Amino acid sequence: MPVTGSLSALVASLWLLNIVLDTGGQLAFKAAAGDPAAGDGLARWRHMAMRPWLWLGVGCYVIEFLVWIAFLSLIPLSEGVLLGSINIVAIMVAGRFLFGEKLTRLRVAGIMLVTLGVVIVGVGR
Amino acid sequence: MKRFYLIGFLLLMGFDTLAQISFKYAGTQALPVEASLAWLLRVFGQPWVYGAVIGYIGAFFTWMALLKHAPIGPAFAASHLEVVSVMLLSVWLFDEHLNTTRVLGALAIIAGIVCLGLAESREHVPEPTPAEA
Repeated sequence: MPVTGSLSALVASLWLLNIVLDTGGQLAFKAAAGDPAAGDGLARWRHMAMRPWLWLGVGCYVIEFLVWIAFLSLIPLSEGVLLGSINIVAIMVAGRFLFGEKLTRLRVAGIMLVTLGVVIVGVGR
Repeated sequence: MKRFYLIGFLLLMGFDTLAQISFKYAGTQALPVEASLAWLLRVFGQPWVYGAVIGYIGAFFTWMALLKHAPIGPAFAASHLEVVSVMLLSVWLFDEHLNTTRVLGALAIIAGIVCLGLAESREHVPEPTPAEA
């Protein structure tokens, strides 16, 4: 079933929304778990539950779950999982900018290869 | 211990694959896509969406158990290589075709995931393994 026109715009929007929600969710969980003031054990969970980060992460994941179902119902599954691989790249790039995580040469190569693959699949649609 | 890793990686791939296949079935049965309560009711009114939930929960606990023992690099790669199993299964289950762009794209993505897995392995010096595990 070829996807064209406005349906294609819907697919693209869902794909972008999935990237934003997945990356946002991961970063929110990272912010919640990495808070040095959180303490240990049960107190740590209480600390996290009283702050927005944990809930922001949960919210992102719940919406992402629905967005992904909608996305996959519109395009072939084999194409969907390949296009979804871009989330790996988005999270690494976001981690670099927000948490100063290192991007070694091997990582950059991996990021470029995954991006290339997604572009090939996306352009070939 | 090698067998423990292997079973763990396969289990992780299995749960991830189950989740994606279930997502596809759930979405297809809930068509047409619309931002409405009716669509939500269609999604949650059939069993496949719960397959996706089971897949996610299973993958989460397998991942946590693996990370406790397994090297992070291969674990990272295994957690993303379900694209291979999902692609192959979608040919069989959904009559999809692996055209040239999908195969080429998949090869680049897999190569990229392997690079990222190797990068993780290099950055995390493995802990000395117990003499007999």
